[in-house]
Amino acid sequence: MAQQTIKVPSLGRVEGDLDVKVKIEDGVVVDAWTEATMFRGFEKILIGKDPQAGLIMTPRICGICGGSHLTKSAYALDTAFHTEVPPNATLIRNIAQAVETLQSIPRWFYALFAIGLTHKNYQSSSLYEEVTRRWAPFVGVNYEKGVILSAKPVEIYAIFGGQWPHSSFMIPGGVMCAPTLSDVTRSISILEYFRKNWLEDVLLGCSMERWLQNKTWSDVLEWLEEKEEHYESDLGLFIRYSQEIGLDKYGAGPGKYLAAGSFPHPEKFMHPTIESRNSALIARSGVYDGENFYDFDQARVREDHTHSFYEGTGSYHPFEGFTNPLDPEEGLKQGKYTFAKAPRYLLDNGEETPLEVGPLARQLMVAREGAEDWQDYDPLIYNIVKEIGPSVMVRVLARFHEAPKYIRYVQNWLKQIDLNEKFYIKPGELIEGRGFGATEAARGFLADWIQVKDGKIEKYQIITPTAWNIGPRDRFGQRGPIETALIGTPIKNPEDPIELAHIAQGYDSCLVCTVHAYDAKTNKQLAKYRVTNF
Amino acid sequence: MVNVFWIHGGACNGNTQSFLNADEPTVIDLVTDFGINILYHHSVSMEFGNQVKEILDDIIEERTELDILVVEGTVIQGPNGTGRFDTLFERPKKDWIYDLAHKAKFVVSIGDCACWGGIPATSPNPSESTGLQFFKDKPGGFLTSEFRSKAGLPVINIPGCPAHPDWVTQILVAIATGRTSDITLDEYHRPETFFKTFTQTGCTRVQYYEYKEPVEEFGQGTRKGCLFYEQGCRGPMTRSSCNRILWNRQSSKTRAGMPCIGCTEPQFPFFDLAPGTVFKTQKILGTIPKEVPTGMDSLSYSTHAAIARTVAPKWAKEDMFVP
Repeated sequence: MAQQTIKVPSLGRVEGDLDVKVKIEDGVVVDAWTEATMFRGFEKILIGKDPQAGLIMTPRICGICGGSHLTKSAYALDTAFHTEVPPNATLIRNIAQAVETLQSIPRWFYALFAIGLTHKNYQSSSLYEEVTRRWAPFVGVNYEKGVILSAKPVEIYAIFGGQWPHSSFMIPGGVMCAPTLSDVTRSISILEYFRKNWLEDVLLGCSMERWLQNKTWSDVLEWLEEKEEHYESDLGLFIRYSQEIGLDKYGAGPGKYLAAGSFPHPEKFMHPTIESRNSALIARSGVYDGENFYDFDQARVREDHTHSFYEGTGSYHPFEGFTNPLDPEEGLKQGKYTFAKAPRYLLDNGEETPLEVGPLARQLMVAREGAEDWQDYDPLIYNIVKEIGPSVMVRVLARFHEAPKYIRYVQNWLKQIDLNEKFYIKPGELIEGRGFGATEAARGFLADWIQVKDGKIEKYQIITPTAWNIGPRDRFGQRGPIETALIGTPIKNPEDPIELAHIAQGYDSCLVCTVHAYDAKTNKQLAKYRVTNF
Repeated sequence: MVNVFWIHGGACNGNTQSFLNADEPTVIDLVTDFGINILYHHSVSMEFGNQVKEILDDIIEERTELDILVVEGTVIQGPNGTGRFDTLFERPKKDWIYDLAHKAKFVVSIGDCACWGGIPATSPNPSESTGLQFFKDKPGGFLTSEFRSKAGLPVINIPGCPAHPDWVTQILVAIATGRTSDITLDEYHRPETFFKTFTQTGCTRVQYYEYKEPVEEFGQGTRKGCLFYEQGCRGPMTRSSCNRILWNRQSSKTRAGMPCIGCTEPQFPFFDLAPGTVFKTQKILGTIPKEVPTGMDSLSYSTHAAIARTVAPKWAKEDMFVP
């Protein structure tokens, strides 16, 4: 049997470096290892600092998710300080987070993901010429539109927060800004510009209301054929091309999902606590194991260190967790292979399981029955997963589907801002306490656990979406989600395995985001042939 | 054609994200109109895997000319100086950066991390991060003070956390169009055209500064006042053009009500974010700011403040930035 191990160093366009090692048998991936190669040590730096230091430090973990980092670190402090957050402040935090994700959708698709679809492997596709005309880097007509227009939504972030990336304008008790009338009206018009010029003209070929009528996969297929504009839109082309080149056939992943949820209702989260968070979220949190939905409970989160370049071999809840890095040379001797920890979730049956996070996970949680009338209920992506199963294509669809939804949210939240009311309520001094803050970055579950003692940070642990998805094996040998997603992938040309890139990029991992992020060496128990020269 | 290789060390990629927001020129204009040829950039290039290594080898073995090396992120030297906390092709990234810097005509550091270490270098600096030619405000850094790129210049530092896209694109265009002799650098190797003025230059709160009227609290409190007195704003002591060239074409932190945290200065983050220093003006005897605007001392500051308060017009107590 032809078996070879190939290593793809520096798998680009995952917002940082990711090395992927796979074992291939007869042209199909049979095993995989994902290796993050960089350590910066934010969690260590935060110890002993001002309780509010996370507001400045954590957005700098990841330049594309900084607003999401800021949001969850503000909520971690809100729960620790027992603050009161006025509705206006929640509205502005929600708007800021949503526009950051709206920026990420086209920027990720055109700059990071779709250029891979112009790879010469697909030259024989009848759609290749059109795909290249639109999505080729720098010269593709829609590449240019998508990349340039991706800067528009974060103009709204700058209006409220001063700049994007890396403002720290959210603080315990609210936000720093007090917008004026024209801040709001200008934001409305920027959002409309983005809706018209990218979402409707380029991505959908229809109004966002028309797209949002789709509730099932067969609705989507009908929509595709309904009008030429739909068929020829970037979304229409993406679906057709995916089916032709097989993006709907591989990259299923673990089939178990987690969302921290996002966007608290402004009236229902005025006194943020860890316990009241789930029931205040517009975009719901939860765990879905492929059959049933469960409530999310932060107390069930663990990080396993067994295969990560950190001290420790067990798993720890983040309130007990620590981040003491090992020299990779030493780590390799202990069977460790990456700077990412392995986040896991404790199930009722006592198992710690890996879970996929990201847009696909969140769009599954919103299909759970029992939503309040102010919460998001949306069966589309759940139906697609039930009908055709998860894949690279479905992951991308879930991300696109959020664009019209988030525009609609932001339109509503802008309307609700009461310019004559408060944006901030000053909290007392924080001497001692513990807090948990979470949200959904564009790429998934993101949370902080903070403990403050004697007026300074005693412990700070952060779990990023990228750690969930690109994390390694755990002490039970269970693979991380992307490792699982790589298995079964057909590799046309092991010298140029673009399929691996599609999967990793489909998860939109931002490697810098692992906070701890490797060094790769041959894993001794494998490697019959090792191809390193491609 | 101007060949650019963009490498990232201990980075959050925020400078790349900021760069992608650029306008006049956009990133695409740079490539299509200004002849900027991106040999490799980790977020936007097609190449991956060993294709990237070939590009690196071509530069190092001088088969490809490297006009501009852009570095984003710190140089990670840990653990114990080995650089194994950040590797590329199983080799410490720091060694790649060293080799590339010695082949490049110009070396440009983008963002605080590459300039002087920035956030990852904050005590206790677990990754042993440093900037290319400075560690915090100390000259030297990774390449030493003596380093000169092939064009005879030290590392050009474009700081900020992140750097404003215009600061980056205009310097790239200046190099691409042969205007490098117009780039004058200050003591921290920052182009003076962007970093001679203060963050306060052009701030909409400057009239409140003139009459010593503070912002009393965040949120609704920012409808009037200056953030220097209570919220720790470093606008009068920080060199940047944040209020001359607005962010995302819209605003700036100080305009929006967030105090400047001095992120274009090598000491950022100030006071290592020690307890009591975040968003809070440090004061002597609870009244006089410990740090006064650049060029003033406590006495001249206090004299000026006393007079300014006396002559303050009535409107200086009123909200200006009203709904």
